[in-house]
Amino acid sequence: MAGVLVALLVLPLAASLSSWWARPALTRALTLVSGVATFALALALVPSTGVTAAFGGWLRADSLSIVFLLAVAFLYAATAVFSLGYVRQGEETPEARRYTRRFFAGLNLFAWAMVAAPLMGSLALLWVAIEVTTVVSALLVAIDDTDGAVEAAWKYVLIASMGLGIALLATLVMYYAGTSALGSSNELFYAKLLGAAHGFSPEVVRLSFGLAVLGFGTKMGLVPVHTWLPDAHSEAPTPVSALLSGALLTVSFYAILRFYEVSVRAVGPAFPRDVLLVFGLASLGLAALYLADQRDLKRLLAYSSVEHMGILAIGMSFSAPVAVVGVLLHVLAHAAGKSTAFFGAGSVVRKFGTKELHRVRGVVSALPWSGPMLLLAVLALSAMPPFGLFRSEFLIVEGGLSSQATALSAVLVVLVTVAFLGLSWHASEAMLTPMPEGTVRGETSAWMVGAMVVGMIALVVLGVHPPSQLSELITHAAGELGGAR
Amino acid sequence: MASAHVIALRGGKVSGTELDPAEIQVLQDLTILAFAPFVSGAIAHFEARLQGRRGPRILQPYYDIAKLFRKETLVPEDASFVFLVCPVVAIACYLTVPLLIPVLTNYPLPLGYMGDILGGGFILALAGFAVALGAAETGGPYAQLGSSRAMTFGALIEPSILFVTFTVALVTTTDLPYFEAAAVRSSFAQFVHPAHLLAALAFFLVVLSDTGRIPVETHASTLEFGMIDEARTLEHSGPPFALLKWGSAMKQMILYVILINVFVAPWGLAGSGQLGAVLLAIPVFLGKALGIGAVFAVIDNSFSKLRLFKITEFMAAAFLIAVLAVLVLYLVGR
Amino acid sequence: MHVFATLVAAPSTVTDGAETVAVLVLLSQYAMFRAGLSRSQVRLYAFQSLSVSALALIVAATRHIGELYVLAGLSLLLKVILVPSVIMRVLKEVRGDLAGSHRFGVATMVLCAIVLSVFGVFVVEGMPIHSKSLPLPALALAAAVVLVAFLLVIVRSDVVSQAVGFFSLENGVSVASLVLAAGLPFIAEVAFLFDLLVAVVVFGLLMRVHHGRAATLSTRHLERLRG
Repeated sequence: MAGVLVALLVLPLAASLSSWWARPALTRALTLVSGVATFALALALVPSTGVTAAFGGWLRADSLSIVFLLAVAFLYAATAVFSLGYVRQGEETPEARRYTRRFFAGLNLFAWAMVAAPLMGSLALLWVAIEVTTVVSALLVAIDDTDGAVEAAWKYVLIASMGLGIALLATLVMYYAGTSALGSSNELFYAKLLGAAHGFSPEVVRLSFGLAVLGFGTKMGLVPVHTWLPDAHSEAPTPVSALLSGALLTVSFYAILRFYEVSVRAVGPAFPRDVLLVFGLASLGLAALYLADQRDLKRLLAYSSVEHMGILAIGMSFSAPVAVVGVLLHVLAHAAGKSTAFFGAGSVVRKFGTKELHRVRGVVSALPWSGPMLLLAVLALSAMPPFGLFRSEFLIVEGGLSSQATALSAVLVVLVTVAFLGLSWHASEAMLTPMPEGTVRGETSAWMVGAMVVGMIALVVLGVHPPSQLSELITHAAGELGGAR
Repeated sequence: MASAHVIALRGGKVSGTELDPAEIQVLQDLTILAFAPFVSGAIAHFEARLQGRRGPRILQPYYDIAKLFRKETLVPEDASFVFLVCPVVAIACYLTVPLLIPVLTNYPLPLGYMGDILGGGFILALAGFAVALGAAETGGPYAQLGSSRAMTFGALIEPSILFVTFTVALVTTTDLPYFEAAAVRSSFAQFVHPAHLLAALAFFLVVLSDTGRIPVETHASTLEFGMIDEARTLEHSGPPFALLKWGSAMKQMILYVILINVFVAPWGLAGSGQLGAVLLAIPVFLGKALGIGAVFAVIDNSFSKLRLFKITEFMAAAFLIAVLAVLVLYLVGR
Repeated sequence: MHVFATLVAAPSTVTDGAETVAVLVLLSQYAMFRAGLSRSQVRLYAFQSLSVSALALIVAATRHIGELYVLAGLSLLLKVILVPSVIMRVLKEVRGDLAGSHRFGVATMVLCAIVLSVFGVFVVEGMPIHSKSLPLPALALAAAVVLVAFLLVIVRSDVVSQAVGFFSLENGVSVASLVLAAGLPFIAEVAFLFDLLVAVVVFGLLMRVHHGRAATLSTRHLERLRG
């Protein structure tokens, strides 16, 4: 199994490097192969419920990291498929070739960093991996070289880097907390930290956790440090938006969970949960309000991401195991749902030449395949059955009710409903109206439709009947997260 | 003052080279009184040299003061007696402060306990107030402008002085300048202590502002719009003007004494009342004062004056450094 | 006040020196915060990085950590020479609008900075942290540096100030790492420096792109994306 971990790290990197030299056609093929193979390798890890480690613990995969790895790898594969249609073929100008080369090299490198993050065995390396994602994705956001893209990239790189500076501080403080029990040569391995956490100084761990939520929360898009997110999501090329929203945010959430695991063991569950609850409620509440007043399709989806990150944080703050199961399922379902929605938005932008909602009309009639699927994806994001997000949010609310957090669960449901109203109002206005005259009915690319089909399948499978091995994996991971106390 | 003279007269009868503390106290005043114009003149001369001019003679301030004493006194029509009293009050203040600070000796003299740094600060502020009052008395627009500006910026620099005093108080548990100087002398570690360096820097900025130096004021300019301190004396003439000029040189010297003998280089002071030691302390101090004066002159020549409304930024910087000194002291300990 | 007590009880010249250097780091942060000209900000950043490298050297020498010498050398190379020269090169290509991007009055902002640093200092002072490598005040000062760096990025509206603000934040974190984690795995430290290198490239690239598009280094017009 250790070989799988190494292969996961080698594949996307190799694809990225070869993108610099290979011809465009080969680059496309390599990206597709790398994406699908990465997902297959991640699937191969699902049945192993134990801990897989390599290189003396520096590489490590347990149930929790496999859940996140699955989300990332699935998105990588789907995005690779989508990108084949998104980046136009056939134009053999030098500019087009350069764009293709940069885009695919960046995409693969971005995916590589995000695949690497859950596989790191140490908090220090986890931070490094996430920092690499910032650097690469900032360049990808700016790749279109429009005014908006440059502005968004500047905001993104500045705010996210500052946030990660705070996250580094959190890592250092956690290291210091570990020195009391583990000596000064501890490498911040989770395994060791978890084992010794009950001996850590509570004040120091609290400081570390607070800084970690603030720092990694910046990249995760928690309010009030989310300000880069809508800009970057709306201005980036659509495949990058999908990766940012579905994978990058969840990887940052993964980092917070790692700190959460240690903190729960060191200071008990109350403090970490309170911190997450505050950030979660702020994110969900603000995003629900902003969703109602959006004029840009991709910004609409971006705020929906903030909303779902808020739901994740609130879910973690309920102490019931069933809520934690819901959170992990939500990570997967959100990855599938949000990427499908972004892919649909990409088709819409390609078709109508604008992201502005009031100029997009009759999507369902204009795009016979992606139109209805986009509508379904938006419904899925609003937690409609039979999709995965319904199941996961149901579990989270159930966990809230079972842990006596009735009022909070009610608030959660209300806010999600407000968000649903905003999202579905805009979506139905844009989609179910008659299409403007002169619009030609038809899809722009089969690859783009294919990527959406993949996403819809995943959504339905997660909603109707998740595979038993996946359920076991999630339950196991939730058990790991639940902590000893 | 009066009692000091009485003691001094009685002390005169003591034979030998051992000086009575009261005599030393008088000598401190005399040092300031006699050498303040010299220091001003030397700095002006050096400044001119830096600018490639030959500059005035070093003794020029003495000639100026002597000339002014021979001139008649003109009083503006609307001015009352306050106009003439104010310069005298100011010079009296400037003669009182040297009794409180270590000018020549490194051990506290009897009157040194009469007032602490804050007390000295108050007396200097009283002098400043007197000069401003005299200027306001004239009704001249530039003089009033100068006095209102001087009071405003004086108030703005005040917090920095307070925080420097707090630092001193935290280090020595008193706020007597003698003890701060002794603490600085006590060890090298104390001298390079971050809190001490910061306090010294903050006080340096205070001196820069209080002596009307760039970047706050062009002290030798004739341009009324940028004037602060200089404008206050525009309406004066004759002996009162001479007193004001002399007083401003003395104020500069007093501030140098505090900066040098308390913060920056409290070495070379007389350790006992021996006549030789005390007399030796005078040239040593003058040397240090000229050194510091040279630094001020270089600063004068290397920076440009701030716009009037940017002066608050300078004050904020001084305050920042002074606060940092207290903060560091709190963190690091003595 | 326990810190107070322990330090008074056991003073040493080395830690005194270290504290002075740490104060220099904070002072240069304030100076950067105040400085009007981008060029002087970059120079101040170089000076701050030099102080940080000196701190690393002090820790390496007093605790005999061989790796730290390497680290100090690397950070000297990177942060004192490379980063400033990259930013200076970007600046060289730009003419005009280098000064005065303060959004608020400088004096007001300095007072805010004072309040923030006092806050940072007191938070850290309350932590039960004891370090073998550097005195705790250095950590408190590092916290102040980080907070003032944040303020710098917030109140200045030109790309150079913002980038310098970010890099000086990293300097603050470096000082914190010297206090908290002088024995942090070497690989992590090197990775940290590598990240910084990459960040420089990204910032430099974006700065240039930004200037190419907008013909200015100011960020005031970067407010198209809202809501």
